[in-house]
Amino acid sequence: MDLELDTDQQELRDHARSFLADSCPPSLVRDLFEGRVIEGRVVEGRVVEGRGPADSGGLWSAMVELGWPALAAEVDHGGLGQGFVAEAVLASELGRVVAPGPYLATVTQFAPVLVAAGAAELLGRVSAGDLTGALALGAADASARADGDGWTLDGVKTHVLDGASAEEIAVVARLVGSRGHEGVGAFLVPRAAVAVEPLTVIDPTMPLATLRLDGVEVDGARVLLDPRDPASFDALEHVRRHATVAMALSGVATCRAIVEATVSYAKQRHQFGRPIGSFQAIKHRLADLYLAVERADALAWYAAVCLAEDDARLPVAAAMAKAALGDCQRLATRDGLQLHGGIGFTWEHDLHFLLKRATTTAFLLGGAEHHRAELARHLGLVA
Amino acid sequence: MKLRFDESVESFRAELLGWLAANRPSAEEMAADPSVSTGHAPAWARRWTRTMFDAGWLVPGWPPELGGRNATPTQTLVYLEELARARVPRTSNVQGLGIVAPSIIDYGTPEQIEQYAMAILHGEATACLGMSEPDAGSDLASLRTRAVRDGDHFVVDGQKVWTSGANYADFCFLFCRTDPDVPKHKGISILLVDMDTPGITVRPLPEIVHPDHPDLNEVFFDSVRVPADRLVGELGAGWAMANGSLAHERGMVWVSAVQGIEEALARLLDEAPATTATLPPTEQALANDRIVQVAIDATAARCLGYRAFAKLARGGTAPEQALMKLFSSEVRQRVAEVAAEVQGPDALVTGEVAFDGHQAIDEPQGTWLEQYFQSFANTISAGTSEIQRTIIAERVLGLPREPRPT
Repeated sequence: MDLELDTDQQELRDHARSFLADSCPPSLVRDLFEGRVIEGRVVEGRVVEGRGPADSGGLWSAMVELGWPALAAEVDHGGLGQGFVAEAVLASELGRVVAPGPYLATVTQFAPVLVAAGAAELLGRVSAGDLTGALALGAADASARADGDGWTLDGVKTHVLDGASAEEIAVVARLVGSRGHEGVGAFLVPRAAVAVEPLTVIDPTMPLATLRLDGVEVDGARVLLDPRDPASFDALEHVRRHATVAMALSGVATCRAIVEATVSYAKQRHQFGRPIGSFQAIKHRLADLYLAVERADALAWYAAVCLAEDDARLPVAAAMAKAALGDCQRLATRDGLQLHGGIGFTWEHDLHFLLKRATTTAFLLGGAEHHRAELARHLGLVA
Repeated sequence: MKLRFDESVESFRAELLGWLAANRPSAEEMAADPSVSTGHAPAWARRWTRTMFDAGWLVPGWPPELGGRNATPTQTLVYLEELARARVPRTSNVQGLGIVAPSIIDYGTPEQIEQYAMAILHGEATACLGMSEPDAGSDLASLRTRAVRDGDHFVVDGQKVWTSGANYADFCFLFCRTDPDVPKHKGISILLVDMDTPGITVRPLPEIVHPDHPDLNEVFFDSVRVPADRLVGELGAGWAMANGSLAHERGMVWVSAVQGIEEALARLLDEAPATTATLPPTEQALANDRIVQVAIDATAARCLGYRAFAKLARGGTAPEQALMKLFSSEVRQRVAEVAAEVQGPDALVTGEVAFDGHQAIDEPQGTWLEQYFQSFANTISAGTSEIQRTIIAERVLGLPREPRPT
């Protein structure tokens, strides 16, 4: 097993990192946290036309120009065919700088449903940057009723990432009266067709919304995964794992940024005539924090390779990656804030962007306990 | 990034597996006469070392004249994994093959290589490593055992402690102070000392578990005369050699530790459903959660090891390496701790210790609770976990060193 990026992948990472250093500086994140309008912002010396409220100062437009939504997608879907490792590189670089925008929801959550559905035309639009989407998981929250050629959807979807800004929502719903692995499907619903309640969240770079579906009618062409098809459940499980691995990678990168910020602070800040980082009490906490990040990072990349190679170990690897993100986020948030002392507690300091983003990624798509419970089943500890 | 190695590595693996199947010692043979100390090589172990040497499988990365086949680092990694998977020890004298022989080959004279290193590689001798002293543990450079030149001999006086395998070893790779007047790191030299030299007293230190099979010892040196030509490398260069010798099979020392973790975890996962079957559901869920946590640790340990290895194999540096000793020893401890706690009072029952010989004696063996106690050998020795954390903070994260007391 080779868990290190190859030369091309390292090059992609370096390019992405340098692009984001210019195009997604902390000031952009601060603008978002402080609610300033940032459309039409100057990027790389020129005004970029915004692509709607999720465009965050033209950041998404610039990513589209770089071909990021197309990078991992298959050539048949208008993509560049570089596979999931390329997507993983981008998800993690975005996490490192707390980048806002549609990438996570559209590319790592919405597009995989389209792939499962074989929706080539829609995928072409995603690759071209002409379509943003969101994924509303949780079959228990919505019901589907066959209605002539079409379907009627009812229910409430909670904590949908980009739910208030995506153009299309992939809604997971269950046939009325069905149970277990039976009767679960996915439908393509225009955002305009649902009642959207944006939530005020602690991290505005990861906007969440509640979606109310009240007798939403969907025609037959908008069925992505037919709930009557027994294969739909497994297809959706794969989608969920894809989204989970991307979230884990992105969140671990945010945690790594917290460690870097905290280590750097511990070297600069002097008390009692010496850098606080020379005290063993601080050193050992940072060593443990670094270990927690490396542990989660190694598992996240292992899961990424399992996904890229369509390996049977993916279900275990994905759950381990997300559980380990939870462990490392808890430590990074606690020690990152604690070791920064008073300054990290102020709104003025940029640290809290990282803390809130890390926490958001750890809590979405199942926290550590959720994934450990899943692992108990995978490892044969419970039926 | 990929899950599988390429064809040349896989054909290497196939060749090794074929050879192992035809030549390995049987499980019965090993269990009938297991090694009881890291300095103890039973007859089958000596033959096995020689067989591996002759076939170029003892240290695959070395040339044939040293018992290898010029294998690549990736091939060596596969070799270590497959040996562990086949439950065949590479050697019972882990410090001899892993540290002493490579150091002599790197720094010794042709005569020392022939007489001492080759004896280890041929399965004819075992070695112990004389490092720690009562007042020089984590702070090894403070060691005080002294060697004073007297004509064509050194005269050694002092005491070593925690010396693994000294009760059986044929010779000692001894760190001693040859110059008390220079800074402490600069006055240390290494001597090859035959353990049957007059003046050496070995006192075994039975451990908190398996006291009938002590591996640790105190070693007393009382005017021990060592021929001057047993000095390894330059006089006063011992400290640098101590650091250099650990670079042998760089990036792969984690393999056996991870394999040990996985072996223990597999047993725990296998036993757990029956062990927890009678527990109330909440308690069962809590127990399962703890087992899952160590299962995550085990997979992470392997992934971290592979990643460190991939970086080194590409000629880079791997900060993960610094983590591996700390993480793998603590995970091994947690596996045993969780397993014993899940067992409850049944864990208190000790059985007959039956070593089956497939692991070196310093690996945790016996009941879960015995394994738990024994696992502290690895969180304490070779740099305690606390020292490891300081090393990670200073060398990997670049935090400033603690000011020296004035």
